[in-house]
Amino acid sequence: MNTCPRCQAAEEKIRAEHKGLNAQGELVWTIFHCNACEFTWRDSEPASTIDYNKREAFFRVDPEKPYPVIMPPAQYK
Amino acid sequence: MSTQKKPLSDKARAVGERIGSLRDFLEFLEENGQCITWTDEILPEPDVRNIAVAAGRDSMNGPAVIFNNITGYPGKKLVLGVHGSFTNLALLLGHPKGTTIKELFYDIISRWGDDKPLLDFIEPDAAPVNENRLSDNFNLYDLLPLYRINEYDGGFYIGKANVVSRDPRDPDNFGKQNVGIYRIQVQAPGEFTLLSVPAHDMGRHIMAAEQDNVPLKIAVMLGNHPAMCMFAATPVGYDESEFSYASQMMGSPLRLTKSNNGMDILADSEMVIEAELMNGVRSFEGPFGEFPGSYSGVRKIPRFKVTAISHRNDPIFENIYIGRGWTEHDTLIGLNTSAPIYAQLTKDFPEVVAVNALYQHGLTGIISVKNRFAGFAKSVAMRALGTPHGTMYLKNLIMVDDDVDPFDLNEVMWALSTRTRAEDTIVIPNMPMIPIDPAAEIAGKGHRLIIDATSFMPPDKLGSDSKIVTPPAGPEIDEIAKLIQLLQNGGQS
Ligand SMILES: [Zn+2]
Repeated sequence: MNTCPRCQAAEEKIRAEHKGLNAQGELVWTIFHCNACEFTWRDSEPASTIDYNKREAFFRVDPEKPYPVIMPPAQYK
Repeated sequence: MSTQKKPLSDKARAVGERIGSLRDFLEFLEENGQCITWTDEILPEPDVRNIAVAAGRDSMNGPAVIFNNITGYPGKKLVLGVHGSFTNLALLLGHPKGTTIKELFYDIISRWGDDKPLLDFIEPDAAPVNENRLSDNFNLYDLLPLYRINEYDGGFYIGKANVVSRDPRDPDNFGKQNVGIYRIQVQAPGEFTLLSVPAHDMGRHIMAAEQDNVPLKIAVMLGNHPAMCMFAATPVGYDESEFSYASQMMGSPLRLTKSNNGMDILADSEMVIEAELMNGVRSFEGPFGEFPGSYSGVRKIPRFKVTAISHRNDPIFENIYIGRGWTEHDTLIGLNTSAPIYAQLTKDFPEVVAVNALYQHGLTGIISVKNRFAGFAKSVAMRALGTPHGTMYLKNLIMVDDDVDPFDLNEVMWALSTRTRAEDTIVIPNMPMIPIDPAAEIAGKGHRLIIDATSFMPPDKLGSDSKIVTPPAGPEIDEIAKLIQLLQNGGQS
């Protein structure tokens, strides 16, 4: 199952963004994006970046937690 | 702002006339052995990062690197390190290889100003940037060979875009139109976040647009004239034009045209992405490996949607490696950070000889000054802390005599070793500090240090903890560095 490498969001939160093809038109990688934490990754990247268990725990994100907001907007939409 | 000008040399004038775009500059660098092409097939990650770090090791003579064979991006070109070495900057200003940093500093000072801009305006139809135009179905992942710059970045960043925005409350004012480098994280095929803070010109534009509930339109210029990048990263006055500074430095006209959404843009850039602020929306952004060498954390920041894209045929995507220094970021902004501090100091203190604020955007500064009387250098240091850039950035200041080249660290160390008394070290507690400085007491506040390493004069009787970006290292990178040197020397080691 394809979950987010950063926040472990479930598959339904993951968007396939773009498929990379070689000059012969064959699929060589796919870029994914997590709708929960906005992490973007390519499935050809080293495991240290895209494997939840191999990533440094420091960099995990919990989308439910409050994060600093830069320039809180005049009105939220 | 303006300083004393001297006429440009014939060579500088000729180079200024020849270079009208990134493409022109890459060709010129290549002729001078300062641009190589990486033709072997590489993966976007981690290969681009590995090669960029290895090429960037030589801050004096490292080459720009063009990539034309990235897996999954057939036919696409990426270039890194265009401003990656002082020799590349020297060539841009019409100097030979081997020009010292101090010589470059004085040359930039002599060209500094915006009072004599050289700007040509051409019709949009005649602008090379409009050779191709897209008005829907945007896919930045397809148009640009995007990749992750550092391994824990939150996504794929555009790190060297020159972003044009107009003051929504004074949209016809050319001077208040801002050109700045802001980090851009691609968030969707046609959307991105852009990091600015209220103190930046762009931040002011964002806040004004949201308060008045009016659209904020921007133009993101990619692959630009090399002088433009240097001034987009330079803090000039709010009502001063970065276009004017850049053209004046080159001594030759910059060609501008109008974007479809009303911005003045460079006519010869590789690509211009027109976009509009998504009013009130904030999205997760980061982490991003920043110039102090550590990651700035995850935040929620303003988001933009693409409204049109123009690009040249076969556009070249220019990006930057940034992280733990030395990196291209340091070379790109170092001299342009130093020059305004020098200009501001010499107004009051003509005894100031040179200012080196190359290190981490001036977190450490070295100022050379001719002591007028005992303790004078300390007064100059206090004044430096009060300059616009000094207020936030100049954290550690080392004051040296006028006989010490502040750009030569061996000389600076000699001054520290032989002319510093421990008593001449001043700590000023709880001062403002940039939020991303990992040594801040709390984000945005910390202590300043002044070391007076100038010699004695009468009446003197005497003669943390944060996450570090880990750039690729080890034998593999050593090999790449050797290979780069070989390629640069045309196969001769
Ligand atoms: Zn996620």
